[in-house]
Amino acid sequence: MKKLDETVKKETLYIAAWTVILSAVMESVFLVTGLWKPDVLFGNLLAVFTAVLNFLLMGVTIQKAVGRDEKDAANMMRFSQSARMFMQLALTALGVFLFNPAAAVIPLFFPRIAITFRPLFDKKKSGTEE
Amino acid sequence: MELAIGIILGCCALGAGMAMIAGIGPGIGEGNAVAKACEAIGRQPESRSAVTTTMLMGCAVAETTGLYALVIAILLIFLAPGRLVNILVETMNTLG
Repeated sequence: MKKLDETVKKETLYIAAWTVILSAVMESVFLVTGLWKPDVLFGNLLAVFTAVLNFLLMGVTIQKAVGRDEKDAANMMRFSQSARMFMQLALTALGVFLFNPAAAVIPLFFPRIAITFRPLFDKKKSGTEE
Repeated sequence: MELAIGIILGCCALGAGMAMIAGIGPGIGEGNAVAKACEAIGRQPESRSAVTTTMLMGCAVAETTGLYALVIAILLIFLAPGRLVNILVETMNTLG
């Protein structure tokens, strides 16, 4: 098996860290509003796992596709996206069916929020380097 | 009553299927992005790391659109039918 690319590893860790932080915030909101139950935690854990696994698999696909010719790479990415969508559908359906629906769905959008925050940290980093 | 419940369930399933049409777009977009990135890396192999990072983030953003559709479909399949049938039953009971 090919080793995981350093860039993919770094970005996945960044996304995983932010997803966990935002999940903690979400759990605290559930606690404060008095809606917290164990199924909120389990739904949240499943959704965090799904979101991070989806990002990791996307990274692995990109890593593999980068070495190929254009047409192959595009087809590989399209197939991967469909497969990952089905994986997410299955895992999220499981979470909605067994645990709290909101807690099983909301963390799927945390990677997108993490990416929105990314330019702030990049600016800070480049600012300290200068 | 059975007919109304059947129509509700059918419409929910139809809506979920139609929502998933939005899942096609991100796949095509990501495929095109990766193809262009391969071309860019082929021209400038030293930019591989920077291109991969940008592409990863871009693909994740593009995929969110599909995720919205996925969530709508899941809600329509698992949550909406029960609630809509409950509303229908309550309305029928109130009307007698």
